Amino acid sequence: MSLNAPKPAGRADQTLSLNMKLLSHHGLAGFGGMGEGMAMQQTRDGRRIMWMAHESAPKNFTGVDVTDPRAPKLVVQTELPHMQVRSNSLDVVGDIMVVAYQTKTVNLKPAGIDIFDISTPEKPKLISHFDCSGPYSRGVHCVWFVDGKTVHIASGAPDFQPRNPLDDQFYRIIDISNPAKPVETGRWWYPGTREGDAAPAPARLPAPFDMGFRTHNTNVYPERPDRAYIGYIDGGAIVLDISDQSHIKVASQWNHSPPFNGFTHTVLPLFKRDLWVVSDECVMDDGKDWPKLVWMVDARNEANPVPIGTFPMPPPDVFTKRGGRFGAHNLHENLPLPLSFQSDTIVVCTFFNGGVRVYDTSNPYQVQEVAYFVPGAPTMSPSGAIQLNDVYVDERQIVYTMDRFGGGLYVLEMNI
Amino acid sequence: MRDPLSGKLPVTLITGFLGSGKTTLISRLLKHPDMKRVAVVINEIGEIGIDPDLVTMSSENVSLLANGCLCCTVRTDLQETLRELFGQRRAGQIADFDRVIVETTGLADPAPVVQTLVSDTMLAAQYRLDGVVTLVDAVNGAALLEQQPEAKKQIALADRILITKSDLSNEAAITVLREAIHAVNPQADSRIVLMGVIEPSELTGLGLASARAGAGTLRFLGEALDGSSESGERYLRERTGSRHDPAINTLSLRFDTRFTWETFSAAMELLTTLRGPDMLRVKGIVNVDGKAVVVQGVQHIFHPPVELDRWPSADTGTRLVFITRNIRAETIRGLFAAVSAVTANT
Repeated sequence: MSLNAPKPAGRADQTLSLNMKLLSHHGLAGFGGMGEGMAMQQTRDGRRIMWMAHESAPKNFTGVDVTDPRAPKLVVQTELPHMQVRSNSLDVVGDIMVVAYQTKTVNLKPAGIDIFDISTPEKPKLISHFDCSGPYSRGVHCVWFVDGKTVHIASGAPDFQPRNPLDDQFYRIIDISNPAKPVETGRWWYPGTREGDAAPAPARLPAPFDMGFRTHNTNVYPERPDRAYIGYIDGGAIVLDISDQSHIKVASQWNHSPPFNGFTHTVLPLFKRDLWVVSDECVMDDGKDWPKLVWMVDARNEANPVPIGTFPMPPPDVFTKRGGRFGAHNLHENLPLPLSFQSDTIVVCTFFNGGVRVYDTSNPYQVQEVAYFVPGAPTMSPSGAIQLNDVYVDERQIVYTMDRFGGGLYVLEMNI
Repeated sequence: MRDPLSGKLPVTLITGFLGSGKTTLISRLLKHPDMKRVAVVINEIGEIGIDPDLVTMSSENVSLLANGCLCCTVRTDLQETLRELFGQRRAGQIADFDRVIVETTGLADPAPVVQTLVSDTMLAAQYRLDGVVTLVDAVNGAALLEQQPEAKKQIALADRILITKSDLSNEAAITVLREAIHAVNPQADSRIVLMGVIEPSELTGLGLASARAGAGTLRFLGEALDGSSESGERYLRERTGSRHDPAINTLSLRFDTRFTWETFSAAMELLTTLRGPDMLRVKGIVNVDGKAVVVQGVQHIFHPPVELDRWPSADTGTRLVFITRNIRAETIRGLFAAVSAVTANT
């Protein structure tokens, strides 16, 4: 190959794939910039609706009928009240949907969660709003809601003043057994991050990687209702003992940074195998925060989690030049729900311009990539490349993934 | 769980008698619009004569054609070339491809290539042999089949046979050729191809593509499952070859006892050790400790056994179809009985 010829995989217009086939693509009516909230509803009339939170205003969330994955149909798309708020995250159990609201700056509204009745998907009905706004709060970045009564959130609060404004979101448990009256039942923040804490403030990562000691994903599974698996951004992977919600304690803590560049995003436990899959989030374009990886962690001894490997990545010399971000982000999180794919060996991840990738972790010391799909750049994408942001796999093993800027929803079939 | 087959890249081997029109077929194929995401491995690019205007990107031995087809020339050997293709793809150095077509120019016997694909662990992890396509020309094919043992082997190994140059022959001669082909390999379907005009889809979907007992798997097993209505140890069918080669037989055997993998593989190994060259093909479904296992082999080369996710029907008997030269069904049955008896006593 001549020295200056672009490598085919490095050309952002090229669609790349291995063992994955595009079944359909939906541009979401021109508003295809999507966040990291995807959930599936089985309606009473037998339809399957994929609910997706948008990355940014003006749109709030979109519902698409994916009963036939080859012919997705837009069912509903809603508006945010103003341009300074984003929804980003949502979850669905039965006919109840929880949506996050995070504002661009502190002290704005709405900053909290909305609870909707979506029994008629065309007309989501607001049941209640749980307000998390405050002088130091931007509201809620992420929600986790899988048991029909508890919402685990990464959120600020009216009474929470962080020492460093980057540490404004912490872990909160909200009981919505009565969806009309949500109440907080527990909270935990990284010691030393709140004004008045006895603990010293944690040491920051060096610039430009100082992104905050705050909560990102907050996963709780029925296998271990007493544990919350938390990606705590620069605080690493933290597993909390939540058996007593008024006295939440740390059960495990593992942080690869420094020397790595922080931003722990998701901690996905593989229960039958005592493993965690931990993903970072890439937050800088053109490989400036490389490497952002997916890690395999041996969690047999929860007091001493040990990293045993990372997932193989496509070549950074090719992908960091493809445009936009390249690195790990969301995983399919084995939601304990009937319409969610659940596997202790197959892990599906999004990597922004690296597309969506499927891994076989049967041998945790040598994880294998078994499939991938990297869509060609969506038209008018500001980064000039695909930026796959989140992924959901249904129990039929159909993969749904969405772009951060403009590309909308891609529906794929795995051949693994 | 993962399907051990479905994620692998299928490889089709194209073989053929000298002068059967392989070069014409390949050069037409390379220009076909449906060849996007197909890698074609050829020996000599000069022979094919690709229009340089159609080449959009080129490395030392890989050219990306305007229709999205990758044309790759063999550098050292096929093994190395297939490894490199996969490695370059992973490194993002060449465009993605979903399947490979290998033209085996100058190789009279495709068996070693088949052997390479199933025995090289790196290749076997990424690729699977989809099938062998053999070109036979209507003018000289019948005579070559009579005279040359290699020609007979190429027919015997084929999953699909393409009869070329029928425009230069006549209907009666083609009928005789078809009969001769059928006598050697009744399992392969044969079709007429003129001037190398073929749909790429006709070169694919030949082999076992999944361990799921779906429609494709049933189609693949074909004749091996036909005996399902008959039962009992008495079921045994033996079809001798036609006047073209009375020595080649198609044997359908059924066993209603379960095997252990140890017993079954020991019997097959013994058979292929002693009579490998005369065991042209074997394909079927075997009851291994109650599970349905698909086996297929060409001479002494066996594809890795594939355990199906379930039995395709209520019939859990072992059913095997052998194409052999000068081997009788009773001989095989006797050998299986002897090995079963020996292993039962260990």
